[in-house]
Amino acid sequence: MSAVLGYEPPHDGAARERVWLDAPGRHRLSSACKDELLAALYDLRPRAGARLVLFGADVAALDQAERSALMRRVSFVPANGGLMSSLNAWENISLPVAYHAAHKLPGAAHEVRGLLEQFGGVDEDLLAKLPEHMTLYERRLAAYIRALLEDPELLVMECVGAGLGPIKRRRAARFAEVYQARRPGGTFVQLDA
Amino acid sequence: MLAVYRELEGSAYLLMHAIRRIGVLRLPPVAEELVRQIYFTGASATGGIVLRGAFIGTLIIAYVIEVLDADASLAVRLLLLVVLREVGPLIAAVLVIQRSGTAVATDLALREISGELASLRRMRIDPYDYLVVPRVIGMAVSNAALTLYVQLIAVGGGMVLASIVINVPFQELLTHFFFLASPLDLVYSLIKSVLFGAAIAVVACYHGLHPRGRSINAVPQAAIRAVTEALLLVMLLNVVFAYLVYGVAFFGLVTAQQ
Repeated sequence: MSAVLGYEPPHDGAARERVWLDAPGRHRLSSACKDELLAALYDLRPRAGARLVLFGADVAALDQAERSALMRRVSFVPANGGLMSSLNAWENISLPVAYHAAHKLPGAAHEVRGLLEQFGGVDEDLLAKLPEHMTLYERRLAAYIRALLEDPELLVMECVGAGLGPIKRRRAARFAEVYQARRPGGTFVQLDA
Repeated sequence: MLAVYRELEGSAYLLMHAIRRIGVLRLPPVAEELVRQIYFTGASATGGIVLRGAFIGTLIIAYVIEVLDADASLAVRLLLLVVLREVGPLIAAVLVIQRSGTAVATDLALREISGELASLRRMRIDPYDYLVVPRVIGMAVSNAALTLYVQLIAVGGGMVLASIVINVPFQELLTHFFFLASPLDLVYSLIKSVLFGAAIAVVACYHGLHPRGRSINAVPQAAIRAVTEALLLVMLLNVVFAYLVYGVAFFGLVTAQQ
């Protein structure tokens, strides 16, 4: 059975439902096996007895090269943003692009400005800020934009609005919409606790 | 014993990785890390060296001339032997261990514990390429530059200060210097300091990347282990070098067979 994203927890007696997303689009998951799924997605190595399916492929059956190819199609935004503490927001956002495709960097700068304007309400100096000086929303936004620049087919975002005030939560609620406007056939998965 | 073997093996692996993957320095983010490392280890450490270096040079000349009652030629010869071959590279190495060794081990341990390394892997960035390669190359280059700086300050500053303090003509010291100085000593100390810098870096990186535990307490422990082992490794390398190049180690207690 094919799925954009599927996870079957191991049969170890604990009651957890499986995650199975058949079609692209926007999904919100509140799964008991969230941490397991995230850990499996992180390096595409599900724990023993579990099954992870991505874009119709059973990850366990893939070799290293195929897993690497698959990882390029997935981006992940952890709840705390997962930013590098020694880099400012711009360096964090542009890190994957600068590392994997430096020639795209000038275009990325323009794109980042556009995306920041779309969300509004962020500090003028955000791009120069180090993560320790950023709010939770700013960290999440920077990590989200970093993920968008990679143009993933599947974007998994952990706890989109958790810990944010009402205004920032409304802004964060637009993450899925903006992603789908950029990637109409893509899948946005919001993982809640 | 097994732990020591593992640590040595891990550090050796990091060194080989840095040599094999030196090409990643072409990537802009890695090049920026290299520049940061050179600035921190090399450029920002020079201030503390000036006084120490000049005092050591002055002390050697003053001691030889005033206490041992020897001539300026012997004083300069000792200055060159001690500073160029041994003290210069060692002072630079100790300074790098004290400043950068602790900083690198602490920084990497914090990154590991806070999940930054996992985040890098998720972006398909190898943490060894992004963090270890620029640190090893940066610290090797910076240590060599610092050694040169120490030697310059200790020899030059020592001769200038000695000519003022103990009334030995500067011209005379300079003449002896140009007569006695050998480029080989400089090359020897440069090769040694590059190896010292790389050794300090791989030990610090190894302990930073492998903190013993996930709590914040593991961070200072990683730094302490890095400093202790880096000092031991530098001393050991110094002995091996002295034995290989001059046939003498442990202050003459061990000599090569003729």
